[in-house]
Amino acid sequence: MTTFFLLVLVFFSLSAGSLASNYHENLHLQPLPPSSLLASFNFKSNTTRASFDRQHFQYFPRALGQILQHANTQELHLRFTTGRWDSESWGSRPWDGAKEGGTGVELWAWIDAADDEAAFSKWITLTQSLSGLFCASLNFIDSTKTTRPVTSFEPAGDHLPSENLHLLHGALPGEVVCTENLTPFLKLLPCKGKAGVASLLDGHKLFDASWQSMSIDVRPVCAESECLMQIDQTVDIVLDIDRSKRQRDNPIPRPVSPDKLVCDTSKSYHARDTCYPREQKAEKGWSITELFGRSISGPCPLVDGQGANEETVCLHVPQEREAHPIPDSVETKVTGDFTRCFTLPSSTPFDLTVPEQDIDTKVPLEEPVLHAERSIVGHGQERGGMRIIFDNPSPNKAVDFIYFESLPWFLRPYIHTLQATITGRDGIRRQAPTSEIIKETFYRPGIDRERGTQLELGLSVPPASRVTLNYDFEKAILRYTEYPPDANRGFNVAPAVIKVASPQAGRPIYLRTTSLLLPLPTPDFSMPYNVIILTSTVIALAFGSIFNLLVRRFVTAEEASALRAQTLKGRLAGRIVALRDRIRGKGSKVE
Amino acid sequence: MASPAALPPLPFNPSRVRSYLLRLPLFTRLAVLVIIVFWLLELQTVWSVVQWGSLIPDEMGLSSMYRLNTYPLIHTGFFHTFINLLAVTPLLERFEAEHGTLTAIALFTGPLSTFPAGIYLLIEKFVLHSNTAVVGASVWAFLLLGSESIRTFKSNPYFILGKYKIPTWTSPLFACVLVWILVANTSFLGHLCSVLIGYLLGLGYLKVFVPPEKILRWIEGKLNLLGRLPHYVSVDQKTYGRYGVLPTAGAPAGERGTPMSFLGDDQMAAAIRKLRNNPHFLFVRLPYILSLLFIIAGVVWLFLLPLDEYSRKNYISENALLPGQVHAYFSGSEQHIFRGYKSELEGLLGTDSGEEVQRPKSEERTPVISDKIQSILKATGLKVATQNYEYTSSGITHQGENIYAIIQAPRGDATEAIVLVAAWETVDGELNLNGVTLALTLARYFKRWSLWSKDIIFVFPPDSKSGTQAWIDAYHDMQRASVQPLPLKSGALQGGLVIEYPLNHRFQNIHIVYDGVNGQLPNLDLFNTAVSIAGGQMGIGTRLQEMWEHDGSYEKRLQTMLRGMVKQGFGYATGAHSSFMPYHIDAITLQTQGIGWQDEMALGRTVEGLTRSLNNLLEHLHQSFFFYLLMQTHRFVSIGTYLPSAMLIAGNFTIMAIALWLRTGYSTNPFSDTAPGQGEKPDGMSQTASKDAGNISTTQNPSNKVIERQLALPLTLVIGLHLAGLIPLHIFNNTSHANYTSATYASVVVNTLLPLLLAGVLSQYRTTIQQIHLIKSVSLLLLGLFLSALATLNFSLSFMIGLLCAPLSFVNRITADTTPILRYALSIAGLFFLNILSPPVVLLAGCAYFGVSIETVLTEAAFGWDVWGMWTQVIIWCVWWPAWIVGAALVGVSLF
Repeated sequence: MTTFFLLVLVFFSLSAGSLASNYHENLHLQPLPPSSLLASFNFKSNTTRASFDRQHFQYFPRALGQILQHANTQELHLRFTTGRWDSESWGSRPWDGAKEGGTGVELWAWIDAADDEAAFSKWITLTQSLSGLFCASLNFIDSTKTTRPVTSFEPAGDHLPSENLHLLHGALPGEVVCTENLTPFLKLLPCKGKAGVASLLDGHKLFDASWQSMSIDVRPVCAESECLMQIDQTVDIVLDIDRSKRQRDNPIPRPVSPDKLVCDTSKSYHARDTCYPREQKAEKGWSITELFGRSISGPCPLVDGQGANEETVCLHVPQEREAHPIPDSVETKVTGDFTRCFTLPSSTPFDLTVPEQDIDTKVPLEEPVLHAERSIVGHGQERGGMRIIFDNPSPNKAVDFIYFESLPWFLRPYIHTLQATITGRDGIRRQAPTSEIIKETFYRPGIDRERGTQLELGLSVPPASRVTLNYDFEKAILRYTEYPPDANRGFNVAPAVIKVASPQAGRPIYLRTTSLLLPLPTPDFSMPYNVIILTSTVIALAFGSIFNLLVRRFVTAEEASALRAQTLKGRLAGRIVALRDRIRGKGSKVE
Repeated sequence: MASPAALPPLPFNPSRVRSYLLRLPLFTRLAVLVIIVFWLLELQTVWSVVQWGSLIPDEMGLSSMYRLNTYPLIHTGFFHTFINLLAVTPLLERFEAEHGTLTAIALFTGPLSTFPAGIYLLIEKFVLHSNTAVVGASVWAFLLLGSESIRTFKSNPYFILGKYKIPTWTSPLFACVLVWILVANTSFLGHLCSVLIGYLLGLGYLKVFVPPEKILRWIEGKLNLLGRLPHYVSVDQKTYGRYGVLPTAGAPAGERGTPMSFLGDDQMAAAIRKLRNNPHFLFVRLPYILSLLFIIAGVVWLFLLPLDEYSRKNYISENALLPGQVHAYFSGSEQHIFRGYKSELEGLLGTDSGEEVQRPKSEERTPVISDKIQSILKATGLKVATQNYEYTSSGITHQGENIYAIIQAPRGDATEAIVLVAAWETVDGELNLNGVTLALTLARYFKRWSLWSKDIIFVFPPDSKSGTQAWIDAYHDMQRASVQPLPLKSGALQGGLVIEYPLNHRFQNIHIVYDGVNGQLPNLDLFNTAVSIAGGQMGIGTRLQEMWEHDGSYEKRLQTMLRGMVKQGFGYATGAHSSFMPYHIDAITLQTQGIGWQDEMALGRTVEGLTRSLNNLLEHLHQSFFFYLLMQTHRFVSIGTYLPSAMLIAGNFTIMAIALWLRTGYSTNPFSDTAPGQGEKPDGMSQTASKDAGNISTTQNPSNKVIERQLALPLTLVIGLHLAGLIPLHIFNNTSHANYTSATYASVVVNTLLPLLLAGVLSQYRTTIQQIHLIKSVSLLLLGLFLSALATLNFSLSFMIGLLCAPLSFVNRITADTTPILRYALSIAGLFFLNILSPPVVLLAGCAYFGVSIETVLTEAAFGWDVWGMWTQVIIWCVWWPAWIVGAALVGVSLF
């Protein structure tokens, strides 16, 4: 899959070489085992730097462009992701993970500013504006959620050396991505989702997907002296074919009628009312209309070359697999490759039908370079542990990567407890000195209520082995106003980002772990708790004042001093005063 | 029972309160008396005093002007009277003491009653146009508070609260508002009016209404009021203020001089005085009576719980659960698949569909079936993994392989998960074929749905005892070396359901098992949801605690509750769900029961409904109760109601310990005290004798000397015994299961001999009575502490141990004064009785009663200790046993 995406990248970088304002869009479909389909939409617009600076936007969305100019942002990456990529079944990630984020919303940007403080204030401006633009809670990215990664991210664009760039990164793992984020996303496109492949993007289908990721990347691309501002929007979704093919008016997966059951008739006990389900070997049939509920309503007229020759829809299946586009479409097959592409006819809506077929050839899935899994272990209200497992599937190559983790301040890690265990394929566990695994460490401890912990580790996992990192942490007790309304759900911990230095392409491969739910000690916020607090306060106040009135004896100042003189303390004090007066008196006499 | 060497003085002085009451001045007394008389009058039904005397705006006319004066004296009920008296008496006493009785009478019968009433009437009738009757002495209380606050304001103008300065004169207003908020049916306006008049009084604007001093003196002199009236505060006295010197010349003899003379009249005072002179009753008898009362109250309390007044109806507290609000679709062709899976598994098990021929052991079953289950789950599209584990306990090895599979929530990110468990063997050791098949069918069915917000994990452990424990331990990475870690994981577990359907026929009811290890319980919401879905939506009856017939009567409820308490008290795992509880994961087991017409699909729909409810959860189950006793599927008792029962029983030990501690700190010194009948009072002197002595010497207390407590021996002994409890704990958890029976009998013998040995040693070293008392005190103190702490964690265990230990409060060394024959007889009888209640004998008796062998019980207990982390044995050997040994040894001391 990577090779295909690389091809696409190369194609786009070539087209970008012409350095003119243009727009390209592309849909790439690939069936994934067991019965899923990866649909990868890509939209790319350019505008020259000069016209961008003059606020002359043609294909570049004005709303976003002005925000970027206002916030001095030179490069922006915004991700909306839901679900998890099942690398065990689906292989390596699309775009090598470069176009996906952790669960929820993730944002990182390079901001041109004089110093850290200015950069941070621009960053806040940026998050607030984007929050409004994308209807997401990006404004909740405050100082506690902002980090400044050192080695995990590299600028993708060509920046001038004169610029003083600051990288800021923030993530909202609890954010639920839904239609309200999709609509502004589509509004940024030149055709607004009304024509072209974007017309397939319907919230109902998109958000029923097993995994889905929307990304926006803005970067300057320069060649010689001229520069372009490029915006690259992608939507990657993995649809469950069975689920998506269900009718919109009958979405409930009721039990099928008995005669439609596919049974293993070879079983001895097979009967009219007994059925051992048979595994289906054949590739599932589908069509774009069935899956997306609509067809592509013609090409976007703004696409370069008017869409007539543009190979917009590509399918990644073996050559033997049948695929029937509508008659007007032109099909291109690349020999020796699994890819075939289709053009969108300008007059008729485009549909593509792939019938059910029993074939043996499978598109080989690319094995991911690394499996990573992170989970919270231990139990109790006070302490816990983090366990991160890295599995290197390669039999002979070690994997070097950067592990980046930003932890909320209420999770206080004990880095001295960081331990590494190596398990070989033979299953023997071995305690390894951390220096053997961890090549470099960047650690920025958190400050309560100000910033979270930032941990970047340069790691190396030996071939054919599994490395387990463990560290303990302490859970902080929050002030009671700091708890969210759903305090008992737990608190989200942002996914960790793993950057694997890819040896061939030069572009790094990104992986992300799932987000975590951290249960914190939570007071009982129920009604009795509030009642106890309030009544105790009221009783204490009332009792205090009334008791004071009742028992206090009011005397005048003279009476008071007279009374005090009677006590032992008063008498002693009087003696001391007298003594002091006498000594002073003597002193003055001597003088 | 031995009388102490000496008794400490009373910790409070009851005569102080009495003397305050006796010194109340005249007008205050009169006012209090009138208020009480009016309250008593109100008790009859013929004439309504309140209606007659209260301040009702619409009733006011020339003929009913008396209401302006009577309303402060009339109250509506006991609490109204009592609280107002409590508030007004000190204030009134103070006012009278400062201003004299005559002034007080003049002001309080006149302007200080009528003015607030007048203002109130004006506002109520002409401004607010309403007709609210007011009544009660609180008007005086607020009036006096108002005037006092003005005086405070003059000397101390501000409260400083942080940076805010609050004038002190506002405090009655705060009090006014608070009373208005906190106490129902109070007249805010009435109180406000009286505070206003109080301010005027305090500021001196009402001075004109005070009769001139000259006239007062004249009246006083003419009528010789000082001489005639008791407790009269004269005009002269008032100038000295409250604490001024009281003129004694005018006071009639016998009235003011000796307040003791009142004692003869007042029975109560006499009793108090007697107690003061003779604390024997307070320190020796009362603790026994109190302890006994506490135990009886604790037991009675428990038996009251099943009544409607003390138990509550179950309700769903967490609104997100929405039980039974969705339609369950698990039916139709899914049943064909269920039959298909079942036939497939039956074929592999070697049983035919009717009855099982010979059930293969779990070890033999594993390889074939495990592969089949994995292949079925994989074909369905789930992520499958296995885990091997091995536990050794009492020389028996338990091993097996857990298979589990995860449905990943379609759009989830592995943060939360629900667990469904179907063990191959139910907790009773039956083959759970239907349950396992149902779980497989449900896995296939659930996979098709896209609405899951949480991952669903299906676990197939080989048995209900160890499998889930190994799995859940490994899930939290807390497993021991013999248990494999889990290769596949999901997020935080939100709830667990265990399916048990071992029957080969259709069932009638669902039996919900909910007890966890160490008496922990799942959130009541989960249980309620199961009852509500099964009963309300599916029409399947629910049962609990093996009560197959339950008609809601008191007896049945009590029986259900007691069964629940026995299970909770023993603290063992009652099913595969029990292992989840220590990790704060709520789980229950659904067992099928009876012969009826419900089939596996109905159970499947119930599980589906429950899973959908759990899937709805936004937060971890936290809303409802974690501590409860269930007495019916629809009734429960919460911790607030049942806890006092165990606390009372634990409290009886503490009371006895404190009483003994107080007794040990004093000794009479016969040389310094010459009072007759006191100094020579020997130990164990009868109650009547000391009473007489108390009556004779009215002036002197026994001159008790504080003596040092010799704590070294008692502390060493008690702590040593508690530590020694670790020895039987170790033996009973670590020997082979074959030795348990002999070990129990050996411990019976040791338990008989050890107290005698201890008693012998103690008497050998001439242990003083004080030390004997201290040993008992420290031991009971620890017992009370442990049991009251335990009551909050495992109520039933604390209650049971408390009851079994109850005699320990009452046994003691029999004094050496008793005739030897009686003494020996008593102590041998006592020892025999205590031996019946020793831990191993109770265990033997329990085993005989339930008809199980000791070996089984102890093997199970050791398994609980080794695998489940069960703490019952620790409580028995380190809390109960040491206390028992101390009690028996104290009785044994009397033999020597």
